[in-house]
Amino acid sequence: MDYAGSEPASAAVADPAMAIKILVAGGFGVGKTTMVGTISEIRPLHTEEVLSERGVGVDDVSGVEAKTTTTVALDFGRITIREGLWLYLFGTPGQDRFWFMWDELAQGALGAVVLADTRRLQDCFPAVDYFEQLGLPFVVAVNCFDGARRHDPVTVRRALGLDGVAPILLCDVRERDSVKEVLTSLVTYSVGGAFPAG
Amino acid sequence: MTGDDPGPLIRLYGLTGGRARPAGESFDLVAIVTAVVTAAGAPAEPAGLVPEHLAALALCRRPTPVADVAAYLGLPLNVTRVLLGDLRREGLVTIDRPRPAAQTIDEGIYREVLHGLRRL
Repeated sequence: MDYAGSEPASAAVADPAMAIKILVAGGFGVGKTTMVGTISEIRPLHTEEVLSERGVGVDDVSGVEAKTTTTVALDFGRITIREGLWLYLFGTPGQDRFWFMWDELAQGALGAVVLADTRRLQDCFPAVDYFEQLGLPFVVAVNCFDGARRHDPVTVRRALGLDGVAPILLCDVRERDSVKEVLTSLVTYSVGGAFPAG
Repeated sequence: MTGDDPGPLIRLYGLTGGRARPAGESFDLVAIVTAVVTAAGAPAEPAGLVPEHLAALALCRRPTPVADVAAYLGLPLNVTRVLLGDLRREGLVTIDRPRPAAQTIDEGIYREVLHGLRRL
């Protein structure tokens, strides 16, 4: 990029700003917020979103305006690649009843990281099923907590019933280099196939 | 924020007049928001804008993702979206349509992202 003498306005036209979404999914307490915090340049923003119960997968009440509301926690962090190009990591709501929120988060996303804990591997099944159905590329990152048995990725793949395509990595969500490796794997897996290796 | 105290959220929704959805076409959490500036300068600010509207407007003089506006204002995403929907309705900002990452990432951006991640 040529910075010298370029007007900010003209640079913006030549190079439109773009924000890329990556989802971080997995069961409750698996380390989603920690992972976002390890790599984000801003303190992960934890917000509580207010939703009307009408949107929470209850029976259709045929136009009756629901008065009840509920809140759902959403964490996100940011990585600036350069001015005008950002990666956003969204920690997806853990509760199943917030699937509709996943739909919105997943729309247009680059892909997802499914965090797995081998002591409770079944907790990540819903996320794997969801992304498979949606056709959104994902990698499975097995968070190796202290004292957790270090599983062989082949064993995890078999347990999850995954085909041979989605990458499975071991990681430590507290380690920056480990999270970087997970994210570069996801980016390469999601879009790298269209381009020559490099 | 704890689940026991709904006070702050109720107060936040006071900002939006109780609205949970923005006016007009929906937009993504990472849609880029840009303040409208014409040759004649920025459009006049209509009455009825709250300080949060003005803060968002000032921030979006540089193209800024919705999520960043929320982070900057310290407001929930839904509340932020309602405020940005108001600004769009008044013609003060434009909000780009969500574009799927897979279709918008060309080889140049792909390599920039990989390089950017590796040097973190």
